[in-house]
Amino acid sequence: MINIQNLSKSFGAKQVLKNINIQFNKGQVYGIVGENGAGKTTLFRCIAGLESYEGKITSEINPLKNHLGLLLTEPFFFTKITGKEYIRLLCNVRKKRVSNIDDKNIFDLPLNQYASTYSTGMKKKLALLAVLLQNNQCFVLDEPFNGVDIHSNIIIIGLIHKLKELGKTVIISSHIFSTLRDTCDEIYLLKEGELVRKVFREDFEALELEMREFTVGNKIEKLELE
Amino acid sequence: MTKRKLSDGSHPIVGYLLALLISLVFIGVSILLFSRKSVYIPYIYAFAALFFISKLSETKRNDFLKFCFANRQYRKVRIAENLIIALPFIVLLACKQHFLLTLILFVISIVMALLSYRATYNITIPTPFHKKPFEFTVGFRNSFFMFIIAYGLAIIAIKVNNFNLGIFALGLIFFTTSGYYLKPENEYFVWVYNCTPARFLFEKIKTALLFSFCLCLPVLILLSISYLEHIGVLLVFTFLGLLYLTTWILAKYSAYPEEIGITQGVIFAIGLFPPMLIVIIPLFASQSVNKLKEILK
Repeated sequence: MINIQNLSKSFGAKQVLKNINIQFNKGQVYGIVGENGAGKTTLFRCIAGLESYEGKITSEINPLKNHLGLLLTEPFFFTKITGKEYIRLLCNVRKKRVSNIDDKNIFDLPLNQYASTYSTGMKKKLALLAVLLQNNQCFVLDEPFNGVDIHSNIIIIGLIHKLKELGKTVIISSHIFSTLRDTCDEIYLLKEGELVRKVFREDFEALELEMREFTVGNKIEKLELE
Repeated sequence: MTKRKLSDGSHPIVGYLLALLISLVFIGVSILLFSRKSVYIPYIYAFAALFFISKLSETKRNDFLKFCFANRQYRKVRIAENLIIALPFIVLLACKQHFLLTLILFVISIVMALLSYRATYNITIPTPFHKKPFEFTVGFRNSFFMFIIAYGLAIIAIKVNNFNLGIFALGLIFFTTSGYYLKPENEYFVWVYNCTPARFLFEKIKTALLFSFCLCLPVLILLSISYLEHIGVLLVFTFLGLLYLTTWILAKYSAYPEEIGITQGVIFAIGLFPPMLIVIIPLFASQSVNKLKEILK
């Protein structure tokens, strides 16, 4: 459904994505993992068309941008716009009429309050809700679980399963391995802008153990905590 | 040089000149207002002072000051700040022999220095523009008082038989709504549109013109009834207001995602000679389409 070929991206002299090749299929959930600064967000921005790049991103949906639900790591909110107005704004510009927004408020957000007064997690949930109500074909969700409470985490996992059932393509990034294990069909590992590994569902556990070993190693001992 | 933003700041001398200009305007306006001998003027002055002082009592700002200074020092800083703002008003009221009001203003300025409160309440200001994208929704909530002032001025214009004041009220509305298009929005709110750059601009301009006209309507009706003989002038001013609003929106997107820079500012200034708009509007429009193409592919 989304085919990325030889994707490279540089900011000045710094190359942040190096020759990425991935294919994202319909009805599948993909996880992108990597350290901070590995290039996950840049990859998402390239897919969304928010960044110029070298290489090719093609899709059977044309233009992809118009059917793509993008959740940014830190969604932006205007100072005096309510949660309901935010949802309506994002749906209206995509020519999607939404009725009974209150009934669709699955995260129990105070939709009549200014969104800028929301906590980080509430903002994330509001932005996710708006993206979902746009009824897109593909979803690129940058850290959807970040700052979100446990109950909402469970709901989001359920939502991702539902999107998969509906045949949508979902690409997510997360720093919480358990959420990726619960949702993804495949995980891609990004390291310094390079795609270093592709892991299938059956190997997730091994990957988690391996990552734990490599990441933690003897680092904690170095602190000599007493 | 031409890429500099208007907010980048200038040489300190510009700041001093600006301070001098503000002082002169303050003195001029004060002399003009007090010459009218209205009983309300001193109260308006006291309220204006309190309004400016209240802007310094915002919680986040005060939390920062508390973090920077020890308790005693913090109080001194806050009192000094409030008194600096209140001083011109206090001096003026004292000169005009409104001693009680002077004392009250002085005391409140000090008391308010010791208080801090949240500037963002959980009260949602209703807006008639909530169904269209954000500029008027947010803008109206931030500046609804400007329309109250404009409508008030229009009524005063009729009462004192001053047509020019009515035109000023109309200008104030256009000036306020143009302000909604001053800053570039986050690119996500452009990217999310499902349309071509030309359609995007058309929708933005259509909304701005429609809502600005709606906001002008009360002033237009009042002035047309009272100055039927000047209806031509009124229509020309309204048309020009809408034209400049269009130019301003196009200027904004011709610089997008950057803020309106010196280049756009100079071109817009040239457009203050209205016939030049025939060249400037298409120029800004084509530049805007090119800029938006990058996001609205």
